[in-house]
Parts: sequence; C-alpha cells; structure tokens
Amino acid sequence: MKTKLAVLAALAFAAVPLAGLAQPYAGKTVTIIVGYKPGGGYDRTARLLARYLPNHIPGKPTVIVQNMPGANSLIAANHVYSVAKPDGMTIGTFNRNLPIAQLTKVDGVKFDMTKFAWIGSAASESTILAIRSDLPYRNFDELRKSGKQIVIGATGPGANTYDFPLLLKELLGVNIKIVSGYSSSSDIMLAIERKEVDGRAGSLSSITPFIDRKLVHPVIRARASEPGIEQLPVDESLAPNARAKAIMALRSAPEIVGRPYVMTPGTPAELLQTMRTAFASAIKDPGLMAEAKKAKAELDYTPADKALEVMKEVLNQPKDVVDEFSKYIKFGE
Amino acid sequence: MIDALFEGLFLVLQWKALAFMLLGIGLGFWVGLLPGLGGATTLALMLPFIYTMQPVEAFAFLLGMHAVVATTGDITSVLFGVPGEGTSAATILDGHAMAKKGEAGRALGAALASSLVGAIVGAFALALAIPVVRPLVLSFGSPELFMLAIVGIAFIASLSAQGARGMLRGFLAGGLGLLLATVGQDPQAGVARYTLGTLYLWQGLELIPVLVGIFAIPEIIDLVVRGTSIAGTRPSGRISKGAFEGVKDTFRHFGLTIRCSLIGTFIGIMPGMGGAVAQWMAYGHATQSARNAEERKGFGAGDVRGVLGPGAANNSKEGGSLIPTIAFGVPGSTAMAILLGAFFLLGMVPGPDMLSKHLPVTFSMVWTIVLANVITVLACFMFLNRLASLTTVRGQLLIPVILMLVFIGSYTSNNHYGDIVVTLLFGGVGYLMVLGGWPRAPFVLGLVLGKIAENYLYISVARYEAAWLTRPVVLVLIALAIAVIVYPLFQSRRRAAHA
Repeated sequence: MKTKLAVLAALAFAAVPLAGLAQPYAGKTVTIIVGYKPGGGYDRTARLLARYLPNHIPGKPTVIVQNMPGANSLIAANHVYSVAKPDGMTIGTFNRNLPIAQLTKVDGVKFDMTKFAWIGSAASESTILAIRSDLPYRNFDELRKSGKQIVIGATGPGANTYDFPLLLKELLGVNIKIVSGYSSSSDIMLAIERKEVDGRAGSLSSITPFIDRKLVHPVIRARASEPGIEQLPVDESLAPNARAKAIMALRSAPEIVGRPYVMTPGTPAELLQTMRTAFASAIKDPGLMAEAKKAKAELDYTPADKALEVMKEVLNQPKDVVDEFSKYIKFGE
Repeated sequence: MIDALFEGLFLVLQWKALAFMLLGIGLGFWVGLLPGLGGATTLALMLPFIYTMQPVEAFAFLLGMHAVVATTGDITSVLFGVPGEGTSAATILDGHAMAKKGEAGRALGAALASSLVGAIVGAFALALAIPVVRPLVLSFGSPELFMLAIVGIAFIASLSAQGARGMLRGFLAGGLGLLLATVGQDPQAGVARYTLGTLYLWQGLELIPVLVGIFAIPEIIDLVVRGTSIAGTRPSGRISKGAFEGVKDTFRHFGLTIRCSLIGTFIGIMPGMGGAVAQWMAYGHATQSARNAEERKGFGAGDVRGVLGPGAANNSKEGGSLIPTIAFGVPGSTAMAILLGAFFLLGMVPGPDMLSKHLPVTFSMVWTIVLANVITVLACFMFLNRLASLTTVRGQLLIPVILMLVFIGSYTSNNHYGDIVVTLLFGGVGYLMVLGGWPRAPFVLGLVLGKIAENYLYISVARYEAAWLTRPVVLVLIALAIAVIVYPLFQSRRRAAHA
C-alpha cells in the first residue's frame, strides 16, 4: 500500500514538470502591449484576439491587453524590443508605419523592425480615396482628366489621410489641395457632409459606412486590396516612372502588415512557433470571425515570413529612393 | 414624434434593458468617483460584453454608465479638489472652496441637483432639436468652430478675475494655455514642437495629469500647511446637513441652471469641441451672471452658482454629444467614438435614419441618460451627508489617500512616468498661480481649446483664404468676442462714474 502511494506520489511529481515542459503557457499570463490608447482600431483588434487566443494556445494561458500609448507607438515598440523579457509572455502590436520611422531615421527609434520575433499581421488595411458622390466625376480617370481642383481633408502628415493624396498630387499630377488639421478621420467625414472638402483618403473599413450611405464613392486605392475594391485602379500602376512607382509602393507596403504582432527579439523558437500557430488558428475561429464581421473589422492572418519580407522590402531601398521618399512622407500617427 | 418619444421610454423600461442600465450605473458610479479611470476607457473595456445584447439593452448599459461618470466625477472634485474626470474640473473652483468653508454637503447637493436638471433639460432640448439638428450642425464649419473656441477663451479670460488688471491676467493665463497646447507633433508639417527631446511629449500635454496637478496639488499643499481637516475648524453640524440646501440653491438660481444646461447641450452638439469645454463655458456664464463686482468676488471662493453652472452643463452635454454621433456617424468625443463602435457591433448604421426610421431607439438613448441621472442622484442623496463629513477628517489621515488618488489618477492616462512629472510640474505652476492670484480657469481652457483653435484656423485659411472672415456666423461670433471683452470694462467704468 505504502509503495503504491509512493509510486503514485512520484508519478504525480514527475507529471508536473513534464506537463510544464509540454505546455509552457499553462498557468501563465501573456500580455499584449498596444501602442495606442483604448478605443482605436489597434486596441480593438488586440482585445478581440485576447479573448480568443487562450483557446488556441496549449495550456490556455490568460491573455491580457495593456495600453502603452505615446509617440505614435514608438514608446511601446522600444519597450517590447529591449525592456520586455524574451520569455514569450509579451506580445507587441504597434503602428504599422514603424518601418517608415526606421527608414527615415526618426529620433527615438531604438529598434530594428527586422529583428523582432515576428508573429505576423492580424489584418491588412487598404487605403482608398473617396470623393463626394455629388461631384461630377464617376471615376479616377474623369477626375484626373477634368484638371479641376478638388479639396481633400486630412488629419496630418504620416497618416494615410494625408500621405496617399499627397503622392497622387505630387507624383501623378492630380489637381488636389490638401487641407489638414482635422482631429480625426470622422471629423473629415463631417466636413465632407457640409461640403467644406470634396473627399478624403483613409482605410476602407473606416469609409465603408459612408460609401454605403452614398455620401462618397471610392475612386482609387493603394496596393493592399480587400474584397469589393479589387476593380479600383491602383496608384502604383499609374505611375509615370519607376522612381514614382517605388515611392508609392514604399508608402503602401506597411499596409499589408496592417496589424503587426511581434515578440521581443530572442524569444525561444518553440514559443514563437506556438504563438504563430495560435494566431493563425485564432483568426479563423468562427466566433472571432463572426464578431469581427459585426464590428466591420475583418481579420486576415499574414504569416511571419511574409511580414518580415515586407519589412525588408521597405528597409532595403536604395538611398536615392529613400531621400526622395523622405521629401514627401513623414512618420506619424 | 411624440409616439417615438414614448416608445423610446418603454424600450428602456423593459426589465432587461433596465437591469443592464442599473449595472452600467453601478460601474459608472465608481469610474466617475475615481480620478484617472476615465469614462472613455471604461466604455472601451466594456464593449466586448455587448455582443449578445439587443441594441436597446446595450445602449442602456453603455450610456447608463457613461451618463453617471460625469455626475459622480463632481463628487471627487468637490470633496478633495481632485478632478474625478477631465470633464469635472470646473466644479473644483467653487465646489471645493465651499467644502473648505464647511459647506461640502451643500456643494454636493447643488452639484447633483444641477446635474439632474442638466440631464433633463439636455434631453428635452435634444428632443426639440431633432428636426433641425442636421442643418444646425452642418452650418458650423471650421471657421465657425474656430471662432467658437476664441469666444470661449475670451469669455473665461475676461470674467475670471476682477477689473482691468484681473482681465489682463486672465488673458495672459489663457495665452499661456494656448501656447502649451502647441506642444507635440503639429498636424500640418509633422514637426515635433517643444518635445524637449522626449517621446512622451510627442502627443502633446495630456489633459488629465495637467488638470490633476494644477487643481489638486495646491489643495494638498494648503491642507498640509493648515494642518486641519478640509473644512477646517468649522462646526461639523452644518457640514453634513447641507445637501438639501444645495437642492434649494438649484431652484433659487433656476434660470441660471437652465441656461447653463442649454450651453452644455449646444457645446455637446458641436462635434470637435470636446467634453471638457462645456463646463468651462458654463462656469464663465455663471460668473457673468453676477450682477456686480462685489458679487463676482465670491466666485472662486465658494459661490454656489459656480457649482450649479458646470454641474448642469456637464450632464446636458451628454445628450448633445449623442447627436453628431447618431445623426452623422461622427463622434463628438472620445467616449462617443467608442459608442460608435458599439453601433457597428450591434449591426446599426448611424446616420439620418436614426432621426427618422429608428427614432425610438434614439429616444431610448436620451431616456437612458435622464433615468440614469435620476437614479444616481437619488442614490447619492442617501449617503451624501456621510460623504460630506469626509471633509472633517483630519488632514494627516486624508492626505495619503488623496495623494494616492492623484498619482494613480494621472498615471493611468498614459501609464508612463512622464504623467507623474507633468502632474508635479503643473502642481507647482498651480500653486504659484493660487499664491499670486492668477486665475486658473482661462489657462485650462486655453490648453483645452488650443489644438482646436489652431487646427480650425489653419483649415479655415487653407480652405477659404480670407473669405472665411465674411461668413455670417463668424461675423456674429467676432462681435460676441469683442462684446465679451469690452463689456466688463465698460461696466466697471460706468460703476466708477456712478460712485
């Protein structure tokens, strides 16, 4: 009897470390650090994932979201890059334009985007330009050929509301006047409604409700596409020369990695792999998909190698392209 | 229209919606009371819970919570001089001064009763405004919003201190606020301004740490120096019996309460003005309502009208800020932006339909704000007098608790040590301003409106060039701004001539 108990006890004790080895996430807490305040798109996506991820990680860890806002998420990125422990318990999700910040050597960048332990991207973000439906232009071609000036409202440099129309103006020669300083993209929408401006650029998801309401209609998009806007002309394909094309491609490249998710450099490979698998399956979770659809922010997983490829594409540009790019585009939002 | 009004009420009174509303109220009560934990953040955190609810239930829950935050935020402001919310700082000026005079109960009673009146007036104004709300909002373009910001600053600056010298100080303080609002990355060229080489200041100065510092720290220093309780050596009998007196005050100055409620509704309807502006405009109006300089001197030293104005506007603006959100899909504040997310989650599309086809749902939201306030105010009155007696607790016991509220409150705005530094720094600024007799209200309003003013001025000039100056509403607002500045000077000269 005693021996039986002893064996049982020994087995029980042996089982604990074994279980611990097999399921390094059991009983642990994983923190997703968001580089923005609660309420925005990055935060919403992270909170949605935080509720579904536990079911897809062996050991069902608790997943919590921590907001670390400031400096367009540079603060959060610096933290995850060098302050957080590489123990697989910290995930960061930041401004998709961080590679642009690194490329244009913004002060305060203390990370290398290619050295993060990449999980991948949870969604891509398509940028479009939409104009008021009561204007006489049905499509981009008509707008461009008319030669008449249109006024585009924007938030500020570094945001797609500003940068996308800026390149259309500078590189494609569209007669656009950019009026920037609106406090949010929805403020621009109101300016469109009162005919202060003629249109705006922005992510498809934020403009869709107004397209549905027939206030505006889309005329041109950037490279990243989503169902429903495939047939729109793409800015790069209208570029007059290779240099212009490279600059437009560079601006839109981060949008493919629209919701980047990374871990601290040096995170053990098996933990990273666990997390990649978990993200890939969590994003396909029917419950999550239904919720995302309701919130009009559908997710789509881009694997780590693809995301890393985009980072390298952005960061390996020849100097002359970078110099010209920096003339137009500043890091922001 | 009337049908929709009642249908909306019945929608909220269904037991499930009512239960969710009570839950929301319970949450909002604490969120409002604790500084730092803001209404907008809490809304964002609660969003995932509404997936399975019906639209009316979800909005009863979210709005019930949101409506209460502004009300209970005033309680912290009055008792400790710590702004419970970014939107309840104006209550401190006179509310906390009353607490120090031993009238905490009366101040709380006035704050709550005026909140209730504000919520009801706001709701009714809203219901009446629904047919004209779209043209009204659309007639306010960037030039008009810029001028509205200027009128606001002129209003506060000219009213918050006495005489020509006081007015000059008011404008200087307002100018300093405007200057500090330029800190951060600018929206036209993307240049980082006055960030002192730190990443923390990229986004500009955060309002909460500044407010907490500039209002709460001087009060704490004062409490330490006096070495007594907040209410000093006043007889404690009066302190805990004043709540009803505060209610009576609300009706004594009923006209003022109604007018401030309407100001709040109007500011709420204007998208882009932000929640923190309404209460300061109302405070300015309350000061202006003082008939003579003698009466005006009481403001800032514990005049109950300085509590009634912001209290009323603070709650009426909630109804107002619903309008741009539901009628245009354009949120008037951060909280409303999050609420907009709730619309999509519930499969509803904000827009003109909300004012016609889905009018009952819109009214159910208005009713939620009214009911939530009625319930909260009634519940608060049960233990208001006990709350008020906190001001008789010895300072040594109270200060650690207040300090904790101050630091946690400011730290939660960015989760960054910079928040604490800003709080301490502006605590020093606030203390010096109090010592030197400089008004803090114009400074805060300058800070709040600085970005708005800068951006809308830029947009106005970029879009309309000089022609923006000739728009009719702009002309009216320019005249108003001049009148606001000149009238007090004229008034004091006339009085001098009489004497």
